[in-house]
Amino acid sequence: MIADEASMAQMMTASQNGDRGIYRALLAEIQLWLEQFFRKRVPPAHLDDLVQEVMIAVHAKRATWDPSRPFYPWLAAIARYRWVDHLRKVYRSAEDELGDHDAPEDSKEEAVMARMSLDRLFVHLPDRQVEAIKLVKIEGHSIAEASARTGQSESLVKVNIHRGLKRLSALVEKAE
Amino acid sequence: MNRVPNPLIDELAEDLVPVRPISIARGVALVTLAAIATVVAVELFHGLWRGAFSGQASGFFFIANGMLGLLGAASALAVLRMASPRVGNGHEGARWSAAMLGLLPVSTLLVLGFDGLASELTHDVEGFHCFLAGSGFSLLTAGALVLWLRSGAPVSIGSASLFTGIASGAIGSFAYGMACPIDTMGHLGIWHVAPVALCALVGKLVIPRLVRW
Repeated sequence: MIADEASMAQMMTASQNGDRGIYRALLAEIQLWLEQFFRKRVPPAHLDDLVQEVMIAVHAKRATWDPSRPFYPWLAAIARYRWVDHLRKVYRSAEDELGDHDAPEDSKEEAVMARMSLDRLFVHLPDRQVEAIKLVKIEGHSIAEASARTGQSESLVKVNIHRGLKRLSALVEKAE
Repeated sequence: MNRVPNPLIDELAEDLVPVRPISIARGVALVTLAAIATVVAVELFHGLWRGAFSGQASGFFFIANGMLGLLGAASALAVLRMASPRVGNGHEGARWSAAMLGLLPVSTLLVLGFDGLASELTHDVEGFHCFLAGSGFSLLTAGALVLWLRSGAPVSIGSASLFTGIASGAIGSFAYGMACPIDTMGHLGIWHVAPVALCALVGKLVIPRLVRW
């Protein structure tokens, strides 16, 4: 079970004050939360790298959390930002199949998680862009395979990925 | 998920030092200082128009410059907030303020017509000077906002860059507007709004590479 908003905010406040013990506990919670957050949205082989990348970003930017504001939306914004960046950079290899490695949802935080989830971002994209990004950037198919599956030409798949990622990067802070 | 030991956690914890959390109030103070310094620079280089405060200025002078000032404040506040990311951050105030400023050139076009607009563009000898000065005086605010963003963690890089341009252009043009005695609709609606458009464009193109992290 991952710590609730109030506990995370308290731990983050202590961490900003330099409490290393609490910071270790906070980072462990963040790691668990990120693993759940990114599940199904990155292949297992990339999960650790992405989680670590976000943890390093959290460490470097820890002063940018305002203690008067909630913690999880801050963490989610950084996680989304790094995820979009990751999609831009990484072409997944064919052997990195998405596995059924889901952890059970923490029902208490489910509503909050849903509001900040990565799937939520796709709602704002046209279906053809979502399809192209999912097939190529997340499931690891080639442009040609994605073209055959979607009926879009190869150049259109590329255009839809480019436009979709550009749109995603503009939606990082969007909650609705 | 199992809790597995992560050496990265130890490494980051070892590296931990106290930090001062971001504070919007400090950002507001920084931008306010930049804006005041800009007005002081205008006074030093051009001299503020004293007539504006002795009943010589038209109502349009105050409306146009007031809109520029408010747009600068709303956009700067949006940029300051963007340095502290959050799912749910909204910047509607800045968007609506920008749309309202757009009323000035649109009104100018409606009142003067295309011929009048063309005449204003070609015959207003001071216009281009105001455009350049307003754009130039945007630099202090732009510098302050870029510094703020670099110390923060902006995740909406495109919006942050665009609004940095809009805020700095609006504050620069507002400051120079205090020195410009030409208070006609054609002059203010075109030449004093144009720096905002230019700075928005430059901001959108240049600032992302300065603040990406």
